[in-house]
Amino acid sequence: MSHALELRDLSVRYARKGFALDGVNLTIPKGGVVALLGANGAGKTTMIRAISGLLPLHNGQITGGSIAMDGQSILGLPSHKLVRMGMGQVPEGRLVFKQLTVEENLRVGAAVLPKSTEKERMDAVYELFPRLQERRSQAAGWLSGGEQQMLALGRALVTRPRLLLVDELSLGLAPLIVRAIYKQLKLVGETLGASILVVEQNARLALDFATTAYVLERGRITLSGSAQDVANSDLVRESYLGVAKEGGAA
Amino acid sequence: MTATVLRSGAPRAAAPSPWRWLWWALAAAALLYLPILLTERQIFGFRLSNMMLLNIGLSQVNLMLITMLGALSLNYLTGSAGLISIGHAAFYAVGAMTAAITGSQWGWPFPLVLIAAGLGGALAGLLAGLPSLRVRGLYFVLSTFAVHYLVVFAFMEYQFKFFDVVGVPYKNATLGSWTLSTPMRWYFFLLPLVIVVYLLLRNSLRTREGRAMQAMRDHELAATANGIDVRFLRLKAFAFSSAIAAVGGALYAYYLSNVTSEFFGIQFAIQFIAMIIIGGMGSLPGAVVGAAVWLLLPSIITGLTAQAGDTTGLLRSVLVDHKPQLVQAIFGMLVIVLLIFAPWGIAGMATRLKARLTAWWSRS
Amino acid sequence: MLIQVLLSGIALGSIYGLVALGFAVVFKATDVFNFAQGMFVAFGAYFAVTTINLLGLPFPLAVAAIIAASAALGVVIHIVLIQPLSGRPMLSVIMLTIALSIVMRAVIEILYGVQSRTLSTPMPTGIFLVGDVRISQLHLVAAGVSWLCMAAFGAFFKFTSIGLLMRATADGHEAALVSGVNVKVMNRLAWAIGAGLAAIGGLFLGQLQIVSPELEHIGLLALPAVVIGGMQSIPGAIIGGLLVGLIEQLSATYISPKSSDILVYVLLLAILMVRPWGLFGQRELGRV
Repeated sequence: MSHALELRDLSVRYARKGFALDGVNLTIPKGGVVALLGANGAGKTTMIRAISGLLPLHNGQITGGSIAMDGQSILGLPSHKLVRMGMGQVPEGRLVFKQLTVEENLRVGAAVLPKSTEKERMDAVYELFPRLQERRSQAAGWLSGGEQQMLALGRALVTRPRLLLVDELSLGLAPLIVRAIYKQLKLVGETLGASILVVEQNARLALDFATTAYVLERGRITLSGSAQDVANSDLVRESYLGVAKEGGAA
Repeated sequence: MTATVLRSGAPRAAAPSPWRWLWWALAAAALLYLPILLTERQIFGFRLSNMMLLNIGLSQVNLMLITMLGALSLNYLTGSAGLISIGHAAFYAVGAMTAAITGSQWGWPFPLVLIAAGLGGALAGLLAGLPSLRVRGLYFVLSTFAVHYLVVFAFMEYQFKFFDVVGVPYKNATLGSWTLSTPMRWYFFLLPLVIVVYLLLRNSLRTREGRAMQAMRDHELAATANGIDVRFLRLKAFAFSSAIAAVGGALYAYYLSNVTSEFFGIQFAIQFIAMIIIGGMGSLPGAVVGAAVWLLLPSIITGLTAQAGDTTGLLRSVLVDHKPQLVQAIFGMLVIVLLIFAPWGIAGMATRLKARLTAWWSRS
Repeated sequence: MLIQVLLSGIALGSIYGLVALGFAVVFKATDVFNFAQGMFVAFGAYFAVTTINLLGLPFPLAVAAIIAASAALGVVIHIVLIQPLSGRPMLSVIMLTIALSIVMRAVIEILYGVQSRTLSTPMPTGIFLVGDVRISQLHLVAAGVSWLCMAAFGAFFKFTSIGLLMRATADGHEAALVSGVNVKVMNRLAWAIGAGLAAIGGLFLGQLQIVSPELEHIGLLALPAVVIGGMQSIPGAIIGGLLVGLIEQLSATYISPKSSDILVYVLLLAILMVRPWGLFGQRELGRV
């Protein structure tokens, strides 16, 4: 039984910034939700880029290790192929197509689907996020932060991915909205049977949501385990949850 | 722009070793003997074939020296101010035009003509650099593109108003009573001039202002926060660079003794860009290398294709009938190849090679 | 008289608009300011001479061949030259396109010689007389075809799914990658379109003027057109082209034939100083 995603001994470096990941091991069990925690610059986004084939765009390269999705190596595969293989991504900063309408944004995501299923999948997304339906003819650039996040998520979900990568969902959004979106995400994940990797600076949020968790510090995994155990560890309590003798940064 | 930081020289440690003196002496001797070699075409009584001398004549070397002024000034501009000027040949035109007005029309003596050309170039550079206060990068490059067309148009109008379609004529260049009438005399005038310009530019880059400008080249906000208004430093650099190019243009005009506006077209301007890319952008040695390649390439190709005298058809068309085009094609491809594989140019490659050799030497 | 000048200005401007459109598509999609676009126009004209006059192909076939050859050339150039430079600063790529134009020009001169040639096509070259105004039929055809192509492209861009994917790629490279768009193919398509449209422009310009390497300079007028209109705006490019055509014709008639291009460059300079993002472009944060 292969995992949904397995990183083994993965090392990544950037052309001008030096090494970013060093011998990282991470697994996402089928149907599981994994949280990846870490401070700014720890390498979380780098990991997402390595998984989804975006490293070349940022002058980075994988210098060692392997990445396998459902037991199949995906090292070096281009992004558009990965999407077709069932990988969906909600990138950091949302990256919606600002000049295209909401509907067009979703259609771009749905472009990998056969024409016949397109409408039904898009309707499913509208059902999930009724706000998007209200704004379907509006240019995405005019949406609020929360709506853009929903759109980015919807664009990824329209293909019914089996592996979903979510990068910094909470950035720039009000906590209430974030919680609501996460709730939807959990629902969708369970319905689709998708496996989810959540990268989050907001540790509390992520740990509430995930089943297992990893902590990334300066390119290395320093802690891993069930979400509960990780949440209760001293490291996380002090550095990421703000429960500390001196008040660590969250 | 790739940040080619000009090295302002190694820390002034020990005095140059005896090896360095020997090297300089040899170089000086070679440079002094070169014109004789190229004119006599024999060394110690041993006749040299054209091929051995790479088909180069002294007049081509002179032209290279004049072009070197353009390449040096352009690389000074890119290296210090980070501004790329596609229309650099326009300043050649400005120099030629100023020389025509002061020399051919008003009859000023040659040295004064050159000074006038320099001043004219500086003024033109100041004006042409004004857009850099407002825009940078691509937009600025486009503004130089537009300026080029305008200047060449002005030259054309001038040419047709005061002269005719044949071109603008120039008198002989005389320094006092000494006329630059032979290639040898031109050589011994141009060589020290180019060396002086090189040193001037190099020192300008080493001043506090020069280094500040380079360091701040890509970081506008840091610069203004530091209290140095880089924008005006850049304008100064542009004026300086254009002044030198204008002097080059005046020399060009006098050397050819007749020029038309077509000489300064965008094709010529692009040659300079190609030169500095081949040599190495932003580096003064790179400008020298680039100009040298520009000189050598046609001669080498002529030499090589001389072997192909008996071919027919397309090959003949390429190698024999269309030599200037072949040169251009190879020139362009050289630029492309370098941009893809070695964007730091030939001089840059040499620097890296030297660094690697030094490292290897110090390790073994 | 004025009407005539205006009409020929609009006709030429339509052709420039077409070439500028091709340029803008490439710029929006791949962020490359293609200085070799002028040579693509020249190549189009020379392809036309070859297929129509030298090979004597039937006209529709020749046109198809011209467009196909140019598009293929565009794709090849993207694969061989542009792709290896992805991620490099924009100015490096610009210089690459300048070097490319040097090579392309040399190739044309080697293959076809430096002399200019005439291009004769089955397109009508007569004159319509409407009252006192003489309207060149070729101008009419050129303008008509240009507008047709621009409209066709507009429809393609707005209404087809590939057009949607191209718009998405132009909107955000990374976003497109993340959404499963095959950005490489989109980029190549953009270059194919850019070169193809330039070639059509070359076909007309070659017949309206003369087929010589100097066509490069006429084709290069697309650059100020795009900048004046607004580099990030496709309608801006088209309007820029019209403006350039009008200015060219007006100054050629009322000032002097030699000065026809100068006012265009004066306007370019003025726009760069006053409103660099063009008439219809959007202001970008910070200086480019």
